[in-house]
Parts: sequence; structure tokens; C-alpha cells
Amino acid sequence: MVRKKYNKKEIAIGISCIITVILILSFYIWHQTESINLGYRTGELEEEVLNLKKEVEKLETIKSSLLSLDKVEKIAKDELKMDPAKDEQIIYENFNNNP
Amino acid sequence: MRSLYQKKVKKRTIILVFFFMLWICLLIFRLTQLQVINHSRLKAEVVEQNQNRYVIHPKRGTIYDRTGNILARSIPRKSVFFTPFKGEPHKLQLETILMLKKVLNLSSGDLQRIKARIAKNDPFIWVKRKIDSEKADKVKKLHLNGIHFMEENKRFYPQGKLAAHILGRVNIDDIGASGIEYKYNSVLEGKKGERLILRDAKRREYRFETIKEPIDGKDIILTIDETIQYIAEKELEKGVLKSKADWGTVIISHPSTGEILAMANYPFFNLNNIPPSLLLKLDRNKAIHHLFDPGSTFKIITASAALESESVSFNDSFDCSEGAIKVAGKAIRDHDRFETLSFPEVIIHSSNVGTVQIGQRIGEEILFNMIKTFGFGKKTKIDLPAEENGIFRSLDEWTDISVASHSIGYEISVTPIQMLQAINIIANKGIIIHPKIVKKSPISSDEVKERLPQYPRVISEETASKLALILQGVVQEGTGKAAHIEGYSVVGKTGTAQKYDPSTGGYSSSAHIASFIGCVLGDEPVFSMIVVIDDPKGQFYGGQVAAPIFRETASKVLRYLHIPRQKNPVETLITAKYWRQTGE
Repeated sequence: MVRKKYNKKEIAIGISCIITVILILSFYIWHQTESINLGYRTGELEEEVLNLKKEVEKLETIKSSLLSLDKVEKIAKDELKMDPAKDEQIIYENFNNNP
Repeated sequence: MRSLYQKKVKKRTIILVFFFMLWICLLIFRLTQLQVINHSRLKAEVVEQNQNRYVIHPKRGTIYDRTGNILARSIPRKSVFFTPFKGEPHKLQLETILMLKKVLNLSSGDLQRIKARIAKNDPFIWVKRKIDSEKADKVKKLHLNGIHFMEENKRFYPQGKLAAHILGRVNIDDIGASGIEYKYNSVLEGKKGERLILRDAKRREYRFETIKEPIDGKDIILTIDETIQYIAEKELEKGVLKSKADWGTVIISHPSTGEILAMANYPFFNLNNIPPSLLLKLDRNKAIHHLFDPGSTFKIITASAALESESVSFNDSFDCSEGAIKVAGKAIRDHDRFETLSFPEVIIHSSNVGTVQIGQRIGEEILFNMIKTFGFGKKTKIDLPAEENGIFRSLDEWTDISVASHSIGYEISVTPIQMLQAINIIANKGIIIHPKIVKKSPISSDEVKERLPQYPRVISEETASKLALILQGVVQEGTGKAAHIEGYSVVGKTGTAQKYDPSTGGYSSSAHIASFIGCVLGDEPVFSMIVVIDDPKGQFYGGQVAAPIFRETASKVLRYLHIPRQKNPVETLITAKYWRQTGE
């Protein structure tokens, strides 16, 4: 049996093919892994956005509660010693410029 | 010839094969038992042990006022539940729960409930629902077996007691129980989702799977204005406390749209902390639910019937000098002594004797039809639950005294919202616009089409204008002087009705309902208002008790709405005196 001799060109083509396949496979695996990781990251960020939205809503509600007219009036009267405006202290502006 | 050794080997092989076959048979039998005979039962047990399906609660829609302020919103809260191991002794289960007693402030009632559920081998037991995040963190740190959390929503009312009767409440499962929460529950609640949780043998959660996504509820915008509501509640509270009354109600609306700007009922409740004993009281919104005899405010209907049927003209006069009139053997008295009064003066001074004579001149059929056309005896179609129809008897049931009684607002029961609708008809120059409290709701276009308001005419524009002039006289020089606001054109009518006393079957001489209905007019009607005060002590007339509340509330609302004083607000007023002198 005579062993076939490969020339350098054939060997180079073969090695190139193997490297290409390895590279493609590596890229495919890397791409898949990255996609999965990005998926996880997206999921985490979506969860974070949802939680932040909930937090914003909660803060809005707390703000609304803190600014309730009852509390504002109490602070104005008791702490800031403010009085309601008297009729003569109110000036209405006529924006229509009607005489 | 086989040796003894060979014989022994054969014997041992046979025994070994026999036991092996026996073992195989037993294995087959056991596998058949597990996989075929008990398959469904065992599968169910595995599913029960490893999988849990939980409801994902949708976020309930937010309720806003007309300016975008939050009136009700759901905020996420954690709920603690217990899922015991299968076959775990009850004592051990209870010990786990007792470890939470301090952290969660479990009452003896809570413990009793949980104990009963453990005794029933319940696989899912609520420990405490809707706890704050601090408590939830404390429970998490205990790392107790079988203790889990579920995210739920808790309804929160940032304004506390503001508009409590309108908003209503939800129960522990976030289902509307009264008010807007009940009426629009299907819109607000959304749709529940479902989540599958897989657990390992140690009951640790290792996989979550959302089987069905929840759909959050939709938001609702009310016609209520937070500031106007606040003003109404403040002034109502002051008025009720001053007159030592049992309760009171104020409704403010925009006549040309029917939009309710405020609806206050005193006493108030803080929606975030309602004592269980007061739940029923909260569910009763007196503004749409309470029936009362309107008394003199109802004279606007009698006057409308008189003008519309042309039974009475402006210069007709009525002898009220006797101070009383006898109808079917019963005397109807005036609150004061008058001489001869012109038609407008009868209304301006709220003379019962004069109004009875007007009623008699109109006749029962015209009066009955006018009351009916004004919408009494049926709901105003306001989008709130538990509205009452009122009591308005058919013409067949009227007696000899019915015309006189109805003329002055007795023998008929109305709700405050019905009376407000009546004054709105006059403010809207004779057309009826039903009140509404929801400005924008996400209902389908078909429903919107059905709800498109029809504006039927109740009285002519001329009659409405004449009535407005008379009602302006009530505030300028009649019983409603206390409702007069300097620089603004106010129309209104006072009412004082004796309360029905069930123990005697007649009207009480000591308990009254004082009321005032009115409207502030500009080029267009600015707003209308009704004030009803139940059983005021001391002064009890509508003009003394309800009219001042109207004035104080209206003044502040006008200031809030930036409506300046008019230069000549009374130039269109034709006084009663003028009518009498000129006869025009």
C-alpha cells in the first residue's frame, strides 16, 4: 500500500477549511451564548424598568398624599400662620382686555 | 457422568434464576401498580408537591379627578402564605406560624383561622395579606420552610377622606364594594393572570412560568374637581357642626354639561382606615340615596307648572293674610304673616298659603305631569350605584289634599340629586341634562353611543327665564338672602320640611330637613348647588342653615375658578315690588 502524498497547497486548503469550520462554529456558539446572555440581561432590565415604573407610581401616590389639600391647609394655617385672602386683597386680571 | 460439583452448580443456578425471576416479577408488579393502577393518583400527588399555580393579580386602574389628581391608586404589597409539607405534623406547622406572630402582629383571631385551616389539611393558607415591605423583609430573613410571598395590590386613597362616598371602597380581594369602585369594577379590575411555580423536593422554587399574563385595569377620570370637593366638604362640615345637625350633603354641578364637580356627605370616612362598624354607612351615599320631603324647594316645580300652563300670570295676586289655608279639613300654615302677595312674591317669600292657591289653580293633572317631566320618581341616571327612584305616587293614588301637599313639597320623596337636576333645568333654560360623574371611561364606542345624552325640553325658555328672575328675587329679598354673594348673580330657593316620624305616622314638629338649591349665573350658568342639612338644632329654616353654607361654599368656589365680580350683577333683576307697582 502506497501512502498518498499531499502537496503543501492541499494541506493549506485543508487546514484553512478546518480553521474556517472551527471559526464558524466558535462564532455560532459565541453568538448563541451572547444571545442568551443578552436575553437574560434584557429580561433583567425589563424587570428593572417595571420595578422602577412601580416605584414612580408609588412615589407619585405618596406625593399626592403629602400634597393633599387637608395637609397643605393645616401646614399653612398652623405652621406658617397664613390666613385666607380677603375679598379686597384679590385682584382679577382681565386677559380679554375688555373695558 | 456429571460430578457432584456440576450438580451443585446447576442447583444454585436454578435457585438464582428463580430468585431473579421472582425479583423481576415483583418489580413488574410494583411498576404496574405505580404506573398503571395508581397512576392518576400518584401523578396528582407529584403535581401537588412540585407544582403550584398562583393567580397573578392585575393592577387595578387608577381613579383621577378632572384635573388629573390621583384619588385612588393600587400600590404593590406583599402577602404572606403558608404551604405545608405533605404529611407534616400539625404541631410543626403551627410552630412555623407562631414564629411569625410577633413580626406580623398576628391577632388571636388570625391564629384561630390559620389553626382551623391547618386542621383541615389546607395546602394553601393566607397568613397575612398586603403587608408593608419592612415586615416582608423581616419575614424573609427568618427563612422559614413553607412560608412564601405573593405580590398583590393594595388600594390607597392619597386624599384620605376626600370624596369617600363617591369613590367607595374595595374588599380584601380588590373587588369594588361601593361607589365608583363598585360601579366600574369591571373596567378597573383588569383580568387575572396565572403563574406556575415548580419546586424541588426541598420545596425550593426553581422555575417560574407565566401561563397567562394579567391585564391591568383601565383608569377612570371623574368629573369631580379635587379643590371644589375639598371646599364643599370643609364648608359642609362647618355648617353641620354649627347647626348640630345629624348629617348633611352638598352637591355642586356644572348645569350645561351635567358634570358633578363635588358631592360631599358629612360625616366623612377615611378610606384608608375604615372601622368595620362604619362600612355600611360609607356604602350609603346620601346625595343619591336618601329620600326626603323637599318642602319649599319644590315650589319651583309648582311655579314652573303655573307659568308653563299659563294658569297664573306675574301680576296675579293671592290673599295670604289669614296665615293659613284649610284643605280637606287640614290647615296648612305659613312660616310668617303676609298680606296679599303677587305670584313672584309667593315664591320669593315662600308662602305655603299662596303656593297652595297656585297649585289649586293649576289643577292636579298639570301639576302631576310637570313633576313627572322634571324627572321625579325615577333615577337621574347618574353613574353611581344604589341611586333611589324617590317616591312619587301615581295620579290614581292622589287624595283631596295631594295637590296642596305636592305644591309645597310634601307627599313626595326625592333625593338631593333629583332636586339638583331640577334647578339645572332652570339654569339650562328648560332642558334636562342628566348628571354624570365619570368624565372619561374606557368603555366601548357602542356603549358611548347608547349613553349619548338626549336633551328633552321640560319647560319653555321663556318659563325658565321668568323662573330665574323669581329665584333671583328669593336671594335678593326673600327667604334666601343668606345665600346672596356681593357682585354675583345668584338664583336659589330655600326649603324647610318637617321630617316624617315613623313612630307617630305623621310629620314631626321638632325635626326638620333644611335645604337650599341654587345656581350662580354669569353669561352661562357657572355652577349649581344643593345643600341639605338633616335635623339642625336651634335655627332650622333652610334660609338660616343651608343658605349660608351655599354662600360660603359658592364664594370660595368662585374665587378658585377665578371668576371676578360682575359690574352690574343685579341689573336684570325685576323686584317683586316692581311687579306689584307696575303690574308688568
